[in-house]
Amino acid sequence: MNPLPKEIEEEIQSFSPEVEAEIDRHIAKYPVKRSAILPIMFIVQRERGYLDAAGIAYIARRLDLTITDVWEVATFYTMINLKPVGKYHIQVCRTLSCQLLGAEKIVEHISKRLGIKPGETTPDGRFTLSWVECLGSCGTAPAMQIGFDYYENLTPERVDEILDSLKE
Amino acid sequence: MAELVKVTINGEVYEVEKGRLLIDVCREKGHAVPSFCYYADLALQASCRMCLVRIEKMPKLQTSCTVTVTDGMVVTTESEEIEKARRGMLEFLLANHPLDCPVCDRGGECELQELTFDWGNLEERFIEPKNYQPERYLSPMVANDPQRCILCKRCTRVCDEWMGEEAIEAGGRGVATIISAYGDWLNCSQCGNCIEVCPTGTLLDATYRHQARPWELVRTVSTCTFCSDGCQLALGARGEEVLRTVARDRYVNGINGEFLCVKGRFASHPFVNHEARLRTPMIRYRKGGKLVPATWDQAIEFVAQRLSAIKEEHGPQAIGIVGSPRLTNEANYTLLRFARDVIGTEHYTATDAFSLVPFFENMGAPLATHRDIRYAQTILLIGGEPEELQPLTGKQIRQAVRNGGARFILINSVPIRLKKNAAQFVHVRPGTEEAALLALADADSVEFAARKMGVETSEIEQVRRALSEAQGTVVIAFGELSPAAQKIVAQLPYIYADDRRRFLFHPLPLFNNSVGVHDMGLMSGAMTATEMLDAAGKGVRALYVAGSFLQQHLKGREEALSKLDLLVVQELFETATTEYADVVLPAASFAEVDGTFTNNAGQVQRVRQAIPPVHLSKPDWLIVASVAEAMGARFGIELSASAIFRDIAANVPAYQGLRYPLLKDESRPVQVKHEIAQRRDISGEIETLRATIAQADETAAKITETPPVGHELFKLGTLTEKLPQFHYLAAGNPKPENTLASSPLVQLTIDAALRRQRQEMALAGD
Ligand code: SF4
Ligand code: FES
Ligand code: FES
Repeated sequence: MNPLPKEIEEEIQSFSPEVEAEIDRHIAKYPVKRSAILPIMFIVQRERGYLDAAGIAYIARRLDLTITDVWEVATFYTMINLKPVGKYHIQVCRTLSCQLLGAEKIVEHISKRLGIKPGETTPDGRFTLSWVECLGSCGTAPAMQIGFDYYENLTPERVDEILDSLKE
Repeated sequence: MAELVKVTINGEVYEVEKGRLLIDVCREKGHAVPSFCYYADLALQASCRMCLVRIEKMPKLQTSCTVTVTDGMVVTTESEEIEKARRGMLEFLLANHPLDCPVCDRGGECELQELTFDWGNLEERFIEPKNYQPERYLSPMVANDPQRCILCKRCTRVCDEWMGEEAIEAGGRGVATIISAYGDWLNCSQCGNCIEVCPTGTLLDATYRHQARPWELVRTVSTCTFCSDGCQLALGARGEEVLRTVARDRYVNGINGEFLCVKGRFASHPFVNHEARLRTPMIRYRKGGKLVPATWDQAIEFVAQRLSAIKEEHGPQAIGIVGSPRLTNEANYTLLRFARDVIGTEHYTATDAFSLVPFFENMGAPLATHRDIRYAQTILLIGGEPEELQPLTGKQIRQAVRNGGARFILINSVPIRLKKNAAQFVHVRPGTEEAALLALADADSVEFAARKMGVETSEIEQVRRALSEAQGTVVIAFGELSPAAQKIVAQLPYIYADDRRRFLFHPLPLFNNSVGVHDMGLMSGAMTATEMLDAAGKGVRALYVAGSFLQQHLKGREEALSKLDLLVVQELFETATTEYADVVLPAASFAEVDGTFTNNAGQVQRVRQAIPPVHLSKPDWLIVASVAEAMGARFGIELSASAIFRDIAANVPAYQGLRYPLLKDESRPVQVKHEIAQRRDISGEIETLRATIAQADETAAKITETPPVGHELFKLGTLTEKLPQFHYLAAGNPKPENTLASSPLVQLTIDAALRRQRQEMALAGD
């Protein structure tokens, strides 16, 4: 395997013993190490807030993969954040059902209210707005997810209520 | 013999082997099927869907690249329905393509272009804006135009399966999927195989960017001049200039398919027309004086007279003749005849890194071809680092394991990258690889050897068991070994002989014609290269050197060359050896001569003239023959390389009966018949080995670091340093500030710090 770039090498840290143990438990579940990549990505993202170069390198090292391997997977999923996100990560579905039932309008509304476009974070670091692929909630479209919570059958008014209810 | 099944294709019935891929069968029987993502011997992908065919009783059209033939299968490859589907697929593949063939380096030899002629529609129906992606560089060697990509993933699969590097992958998702690497910079061995297999103009040779159109180039199939694997390649020349090297398998169909390594692909031609090539013969009339240009007649006359005088005064043994593992068999054979028949000296040798004479004298089984390695069931590698030094062998081992399920046993003191593919890695102390051989040959030494190597006896027992229980083909590959160890390895097949297995050998010498120079007999002279240097000025008064000494020979003996009465050097460039030369004769490179190289599989392959010799250079054999003639001897072989080869065939037993026409087809390489030795008594060698190994330090620490990619490959040598991009690699291949702006090389020349570093490395390299 090719060596990691120096800067990255220096930044890789390991996590607390509990987290390391949790990662080990996931690796043990699969016949080949590399299969544990997704759960571990979520853990690293949980611990570091997002998946940066050091995080990617950590996973590569842990699973005997190249950093390009990890990059390939990380860039595929909208659930993996390659940049820091705000305290509340608003993820609006843009796939077919939601699109037909007004996802565009929802995003437009949030954009106006928060003053950010999809892919951006508010200056105070509270909100990040993203488009994501099908949330599996097509029957109750349009849908969005904030953090790990689902909000369905959205209208601009509903969105206002939801945003108002979020704690500082 | 595999089971046969009956398949009907377009109404014709064929009997074919069960389990073969339908697309292969269709093509073999003359029913054309277009494809992009299908690539023989790689994992199946089935993403381009160009190979759709109709199979009766199956719903929907099927991808013939993933279906295996079964009995009674009825297939249609041509119909209106299929045509419509294929045209539809191609329209999708082109939806995002910039359609810029006129400015694309691939234009004219592009699979996408060709299939578009067959299956494309005249008009595009897409009116949506294309997903623009800027052109950029992924490394100093790889230029990239992502918008042309059809996501067939041949590149990612060769990187993974052939090279084991997983350096290039598909990132992103959906329409934004892009072939790239982490940080958009390739940190890999730069083999460029992704460029070669790409059916579009997405991945391109950055060193040949916008230099020529493929139809302007005259292609000459030849053999690579770097390592001993002997890959087949095509030199593309325009006029008298070689502009590129490829192995695209529609041009060349050699042992390597489309595989080449970074040296073969990028460094094979830049030195050929390089400005530093020696232009004329040169003579130094007085020691310490300058080299003065001379005509060929003057130079030949000068050499002949001086050699005759020295022979007269000090006897023939005072003259040493030195060939080179880089030169053709024809050149080395002519040198040998010159030494024996004209000078009459026993002092001849070649500048190889090590001799394989003890191995070949005792070789108890034939040599393995690279195909044998790919399909071997068991592979034992002792020492060596093929992924850096013989990259094709490395690839074959990797594929044997990955795609063929071979059992790969690695015995090495360094955890080389191939370790990843090894079923068993015996990690020994530095320099104790040969102890493993001792343990394999002598059951009583297992414990002693294990202690010296710092491994468990069970690990050795496991290897012994693997060898005695193996079924099918067993390939034993090995790097540099001492003479005693070479004899032992050569006799291993007799120790483990059994009807259920077939042993084959794969020695790993370093140079393109290491095996050939051995076969020509130059390595069996009375002195080695270093001995000759040590005797310089004493027993040896004159040296006639074709090529140059290696650094390993000259190290600590720099003075030796200046002590000679006469030093004649045939070279392409000025080197450490020409510095002391009294006469320098400009030789023609491999691209300018006809001849043969013999690779580490014992295959003798053609070297063909792509361009006439540059400047006043001449083929090495012709220079030697001219000197011989001036000394009053005629070989009767002055006329052509093929005539010399006939002489070789008449005098070297292993080459008996060979002629150039028999070597014509690179897809059917001819293996020379090295004599298989009888069972020999190796007790003496076992004693010798025991004695040397007894000296090994039992407390020495093991090497735990895997050496980085390119630590051997990217070393600057006389040939590779002629390609500026190689300096970039040698300097660590740093990612430039901006991969879009200009080639990394331009940025390199701007960056003075890097330039300095590069010069230092050039001085340090050999
Ligand atoms: S870059 Fe070339 S080989 Fe790789 S996926 Fe794209 S078209 Fe295929
Ligand atoms: S389309 Fe939005 S949840 Fe499925
Ligand atoms: S060749 Fe069969 S799907 Fe691409």
